[in-house]
Formats: sequence, C-alpha cells, structure tokens
Amino acid sequence: MSTVELALRVFIVDDELPARNRLRELLRDCSEQVPLEITGEAGNGQEALDKLMETPADVVLLDIRMPQMDGIELAQHLNKLPRPPVILFTTAFDAYAIKAFELHAVDYLLKPIRLRRLFEALTRAREAVPVQTEVLRELLPEPRKFLSIHERGKIHLVPIEQVLFLRAELKYVTVRTAECEYLLEESLTALEHEFTARFVRIHRNCLVAKEAIEGFEKGGDEGESGWQVRLKGLDQLLAISRRQQHIIKEFSSS
Amino acid sequence: MHKSRSIKQNAPPDALPNFRNLGVMLRILLIGSGLALLQALLQADGWADMPLRVMQMATLLTPILLASLLLLWVMQPWLHRLAYMRGVLAVNALVIMLTLSTYYFGGELYYPPGREGSYFDVLRYMLLSVLVCSVLLTYFRWRSRVLSRALHEARLQVLRARIRPHFLFNTINAVLSIVRARPGQAEVALEDMSDLFRMAMADTQDLVPLRQEIELSRQYIALEQLRMGERLQVEWQVQEAPEDALIPPLLLQPLLENAVYHGIEPLPQGGSILIELRRSGDELRIRVENPCPARDIAPHSGNRMALQNIRERLELLFDLEARYQVESGKGFYRVEITLPYMKENAI
Repeated sequence: MSTVELALRVFIVDDELPARNRLRELLRDCSEQVPLEITGEAGNGQEALDKLMETPADVVLLDIRMPQMDGIELAQHLNKLPRPPVILFTTAFDAYAIKAFELHAVDYLLKPIRLRRLFEALTRAREAVPVQTEVLRELLPEPRKFLSIHERGKIHLVPIEQVLFLRAELKYVTVRTAECEYLLEESLTALEHEFTARFVRIHRNCLVAKEAIEGFEKGGDEGESGWQVRLKGLDQLLAISRRQQHIIKEFSSS
Repeated sequence: MHKSRSIKQNAPPDALPNFRNLGVMLRILLIGSGLALLQALLQADGWADMPLRVMQMATLLTPILLASLLLLWVMQPWLHRLAYMRGVLAVNALVIMLTLSTYYFGGELYYPPGREGSYFDVLRYMLLSVLVCSVLLTYFRWRSRVLSRALHEARLQVLRARIRPHFLFNTINAVLSIVRARPGQAEVALEDMSDLFRMAMADTQDLVPLRQEIELSRQYIALEQLRMGERLQVEWQVQEAPEDALIPPLLLQPLLENAVYHGIEPLPQGGSILIELRRSGDELRIRVENPCPARDIAPHSGNRMALQNIRERLELLFDLEARYQVESGKGFYRVEITLPYMKENAI
C-alpha cells in the first residue's frame, strides 16, 4: 500500500439506523486493509444531497428502498454534483432492481452485506466510473419524485407535485411552481414521456400539471386556438395550440 | 407451541357438513326447494297444473325442510362425532321420521284429491326424502373434497405469499447490526424470528387461539421496530379481545406486515398502526388501520397477494360467515375482518 494513496471518502445513505450502524462496523473492519474515512451518513435523499454538497465523497453506499425518494432516483441527482461519487447500491431484496442491475452491470451489495463483498467493492471503487444517468433512468421504472436544478453551484430539489407547468425555452426548460421559476437542462419530450401521468401537453413547447388546471378561457391573440388555460395559483394564462385543442373537451368533462 | 385445533375434524374429505353453518343451511334450502320444483315439473299434467303441484309439494316440503334444519342444527355436535356412514344413516332416518310425522299429522292436507292416504303415498314420500337427502349429502361430500384440496393449496400459498424476503433480509441485517453492541437484544430478536418462521412453515394447523396470533404479531412488530425505531408506532386495542377465540393462523400478522410495508415504511416520518380486536355477539372483529402515502393512488398489482390469500382462506373455512372489507381513502388504509366467534374447546 503506497503512502501517497488518499483515504477513500465513504458516505452512507439508508433510512434504517441499524443498517447504517452495521455498515459503519463493516467499514471500520475494512479500514484495516483499505484506507478509508467515513465522511457522514444520511437517512433520506434530501439530507444525503445536502451533506454531500457540503462534504464530497468518493463512494456512496446507497440503499434502494427508502421513503420519499428511492436510492436510484437519488443517484440520478447525485450525478449532477461537480464530481459525482461512485455509487454502491445496497438492497435487501428487490427482484426487479437486481435483474436490472445485472443487465446493466451496475454494482450492488446484498443485505446482509458480507465483509468480503464490501471490501471487494471498495477496492474496485477507485477505478470505477459513475453510472450514467441514462442507465439509472432505465433502472427506475417510476417517474422521479423531484427535479434537480443547478443553482449557483448547488443542486436544488423541486418536488414534482409542486410544479405547475414546464415550458421549453431556447436551451432550457422553465420549471414553474407557485412561488418560483427554475431552469432545467433536460428535454421537454423526455420529461413528457417520464411524467405522462401528471402532465398534459397544451402546446408544442409547454406541459401543464393536470391537477393544477382550473379552467379554460377564450381570448388572447397569441393562442393559436384562441383558447388559454388558467392554472391554480397563477395569474399567467397559457396558450393552447390548435393541435392540442382536444384537451379542453377532455378536461372540461371530468 | 400452543394447543391448536384442526378444522379437519369438522370437514375432512368424508364428513357430514357443519349443519350450523349458514352457508350449508342456505344450500340445503335452495337445493331442497329446487328438487321439489323439479319433481312438480315431472308430475304435472300441463302448465296449468304446475302451480297446484308446486303448492302441494311446498306444503309438504317446507315443514320437513325447516324441521330437518332445526333438528340437524340441534344434533350437530352428536352427528359430527359419528363415523361418516353412520352419520349418513342417521340423517336419513331423521328426515324419514320427519317426513312420516309431517305426513301423518298433516292428515288430509297431503292426501291426493279424491283419495284416502295410502301406503303407496307413504312409501313414495319416504323414497323421495331419501332421494333428496342423498343428493344433498353427495353434493356436500363432493364440495368438501374440492374445498379441502383448495384449502391445502391455499395453505401452501401462505408460505409463498407471506413473510416477504424483504422483511427476512432486512431483519437479519438489523440483528447483525446489534450483535456486537447489544447481544442480549439480538438473542431475543432471533428467538422472535424463529417463532415467526415456525408458524409460517407449519401447515398442519387450521385454527389457532387468538392469543397465539396476538403474541406472534407482537413479536413481529418488535422485529420491525428494531429496524424502524420510532417511525413505527402501534396502538393495540385488545382489552375486549376474546383470547380464547379460534382463528386461522397468520390472519393478523400478514395484515400488519402489509400495513408496515405499504403504509409506514414509505412515510418519512412513519406513523401509527391501529389494531382493534373485539367480540360483538357471535362474531369476532379484526380491524387494522394505517396511514399511507397519499400519492400511492394506484395499488401495485403484486403486493395484495397476502391479502388475497387471507380472503381466500376465510372463504374456504367459513363460507358466508366471514366478511372481509377494505376501505382506503386519502392517506389511510383500513381492513376489517369479521368471522364467527368460536371458542376454544367448544367445537
């Protein structure tokens, strides 16, 4: 072991305290062979993201099944960090996820985790590259619960249920909530595909939250169909294109 | 392991049906009346004759049917101790006796128009009642055979549908995490776990005392609390629970497992599960209520397996006498099971 080698910075994310304790114990056992340092731990996704922005880590041991935001979604948000950590997923039993991991050759650890497996995974972690966001997207069959926004070097999570509409601008997508407006670097088509249950397209460049639709109004010269949609808690009216005019009928009846 | 009773004594492949079961009584009434109608159809000279024939049959049949049901209900404990063939004979003898006395005491009511009662009539009605009896008993025998096979399959399914692998591995993981720091607590946890799995793997029992199921459920909750800590709260309302009541094993625990897995675990702050067990008249009521994430509107397809299994077992064991209701709204999920109250050592 060369002395120049820096200690591997490891971060633990699991919603269960005993599971985190167990990992700490195992890591301590590992530290005799692999120089490592536990930089912290978190019980949920938001906490993990906040702490990792403060103190970056090289490796994140990440539980898949957690309330609110599961591990695979968190991994996607972590990929937006300036230096994304290598993720080692941990899971007790999740037939679907395991099959997907095998398919995409993503590393994972089965709980209860064996010391030797953890040791091997940590040794490999130095050379490993973070899993591509596209692959993570495929691992997660459900839509994300949050959108992650770059803001002045930080990552901000916006709960998807707070989003009123998404509108494609030149290079970005504008994300609008009741209070704020954010810029997101994703394609509107991909977003439409992912959140098809929640949003409906009213225009070539705009998706609105179905739940937020308050009513439809005639008028406005920019609306090609002559109709506009009013959203709850928003003064701004959004134009509906002629091609999407059919949604007026669908939403007025229900 | 506590003493447990097998419902097989009640309905093994070849046994008389339980004449005190509402479903059995209804079936006897329906099939009996159906056969009578068929007979009226065979006897009648034409459509015009039908109502008269049906009326005739009904006046004779109804008192016999009702009296038989009553007598069978009363004699059920004695009948069910007899060997099957003797039981069949006893039931037949009982019905013949009732037929004869109804015919005798009914007097002219049952004589064919314009004729005195004759030996032929007596014999005919006797044969008819034996016929109806045999059809019914054959039907029940066939039904119990089909059911016992289904019940056997359902029991096997319990194993598969029940204790989730997720629970098993997470719990082992939690126990491992305390082995070094708190070995005593780890021991208890492993003991609880082995009890739970012993119960899940035993497939000979059909009914167990309620207190055993409560105990098992408490052990299960203790295990879950080991890993979830304060996020999992449980409110037991069991002061009025009849501890000697008999219930199918693993009726309550899977309900709790469901409540934990789909209700409490996905909630960041956790929540409280309400468990209410009480007796109301001849019934035992089990209610489990838990909060759940409001976002989860569409229930996942695979996860209701355990509940489906409970529903099936209740249907097989109690027929119409057990009810199973699910109510779910914004942020809560409630299961209510009602089943007949059976006392230990009373069947």
